[in-house]
Amino acid sequence: MVDYVSIRDWINFPDPLSNPNYPFGDVYNLPYDISYKLWEIIGGTLAWLINLIFPGNPVSDWLVCAGAMNFFALIVFMILMFLVPFTGCLVSLWEERKVLGRAMDRRGTMIGLMGFLQCVADGFKTFMKEDIKIKEGDKMGFMWTCSLIIGTSVLIAIMIPLSPRWFVVNYGSGLLIIMALYALAPFFILVSGWSQNNKYAMIGGIRATEMMVSYEVPLLIIIATVALQAGTFNIGGIVDAQYDTMPYMIPQFIGFITFFLCATAESERAPFDLAEAESELVEGWQTEYAGMKWGLIMLADYLRGYVSCAMLVIMFWGGWNLPFIGDYNTWIPEIVFLLKCWLAFFFMIIFRCATGRVRTDTILNLGWKVFMPLAILNLMVVLALKVGGVC
Amino acid sequence: MVMTYFEKYRDGRHKNWKDLWIIKPFIICMKVLFRTTIHRPVTVLYPYEKLWEPDNYRGRPGLDFNKCIGCGMCARMCPCAAIILVETPDDEGQPVMRPQVNMGRCSFCAYCAEYCPVDAMTVTPIVELAEFTRSDLIYGPRRLAYAGTTEGMKVPLKETLISDYKAGNKVMRDHASIDRPELEGAKCISCKKCSKVCPVNAITMVEHGVNAKGRPILWPEINSETCVSCSNCIDACPKSALSMKEVL
Repeated sequence: MVDYVSIRDWINFPDPLSNPNYPFGDVYNLPYDISYKLWEIIGGTLAWLINLIFPGNPVSDWLVCAGAMNFFALIVFMILMFLVPFTGCLVSLWEERKVLGRAMDRRGTMIGLMGFLQCVADGFKTFMKEDIKIKEGDKMGFMWTCSLIIGTSVLIAIMIPLSPRWFVVNYGSGLLIIMALYALAPFFILVSGWSQNNKYAMIGGIRATEMMVSYEVPLLIIIATVALQAGTFNIGGIVDAQYDTMPYMIPQFIGFITFFLCATAESERAPFDLAEAESELVEGWQTEYAGMKWGLIMLADYLRGYVSCAMLVIMFWGGWNLPFIGDYNTWIPEIVFLLKCWLAFFFMIIFRCATGRVRTDTILNLGWKVFMPLAILNLMVVLALKVGGVC
Repeated sequence: MVMTYFEKYRDGRHKNWKDLWIIKPFIICMKVLFRTTIHRPVTVLYPYEKLWEPDNYRGRPGLDFNKCIGCGMCARMCPCAAIILVETPDDEGQPVMRPQVNMGRCSFCAYCAEYCPVDAMTVTPIVELAEFTRSDLIYGPRRLAYAGTTEGMKVPLKETLISDYKAGNKVMRDHASIDRPELEGAKCISCKKCSKVCPVNAITMVEHGVNAKGRPILWPEINSETCVSCSNCIDACPKSALSMKEVL
């Protein structure tokens, strides 16, 4: 029992890697480090205050012991890891409003930080709206599908690593896991549309499924192609392989274009927003979701857009690396990654502005007669390159 | 196959690679984006910038209280029935009839200003009429006043008559000067109602002999100089002895 007198005795910033419960092995993790130091400040202050009132109590000692430090640091870490994609998705929303406005000869949102605060205001507005629950229909399916769509979207958004030092999991098959969770949402949309006892919602759900069977296969073929060229499913490995040779956009340009379109379809953005066709169906499968449920679904939509752009950046644009730069740790790779994501999102916005929504039969033709041959062609190109020993 | 998508581009109209599928709209969007980033978009930032309005811009009607004669032509011609005549004390305290406009109903067609025979009702460039309550939208005769009335805000209706047109004289005539009430003397019962309702006192009752009982027969005589063709006398006539006729 140390005789603590000053607050400085409680806050001493130990190295998180020396904590026996450090969850990331021997890899340095920046957000965990930040959370650890934050909890060191918060928990140390709390322990100091409690110790002032009750000197020599065990609670203060528990608050700064290694296990409790790790536990609370992980909670702060979770919040931090959610806040980054959340902010990125808010910036995406703002960027979409402004760029779409300029591309349509308008100004977009203008109130508050060049229109950025409009997103926050919309969030508050949906938060204050009445939360209507359906009277007839499958209540459990209605609520659970909504929660699962939002939950899986947030899960894959936080699983995207921003840099070698900013990650949650570092699996050898990270790309596959992300894409597998990413492809779950159309099933939930189908169940959601079925459970709402509403024709528009049901048509939206059926359309989502129909869209899924058309774009999912070429998307996975292209992912497999990228993994084939890189020789690994690990995201960090793919990025490093591009750093060693060149961004995969150059040899796999066909695949890049196809993946861009398929990822747009995957995140259910225009022109592939068949499921929530706001001018044909009322709001598609989101018709009965009122208030904050709808707001969270929109947030999930934009998170999926962010994930689409992030996958594009990881697989074709070299992730957090910039070309002709020796050591990427000399500057901030996370910012580079996010800027690349927003650039990809910019192209998605222009794509949305330039095209009309595809028809239900067109998306099937497009998926099976255009995307599929292009994906196979891309695979053949990569195979030729691999066999020829070029890369 | 993929090539079926390019068949529609084989009609000879699409010669450029930019016409292919989404490339052309993509390029057009980028063009608009860069142009509106460098220059300003067409959007007018409304509360801060306002468009120029001409003098005869049809905003809310304005009224010159003392010019108005209370003939009710505006209320008669209003397509939305937004105008009624209300009794108001004038500057001397005498009760007079003046129009009151309900702006919640007004459709800004300015027929009231067009048909006003004395140009008391004018158009004004005021269009910002938002209020907190519905009753605040009712503009009384005094509230309708507009200080900055110019000559361009008076929009009297000019008409070309068919008779003039056939005669080759395509002159634009003032609406108030082409129709006049005409009397069928056989129907008149000398009740003097027309002379009572005339807002400009253009009707005088003139004696036309005596009837079987020895009472004087009074027929209205209409002074075409002062008559404004408001047809109040026609509405007031119980026997339909008066009717509008083209006099030119």
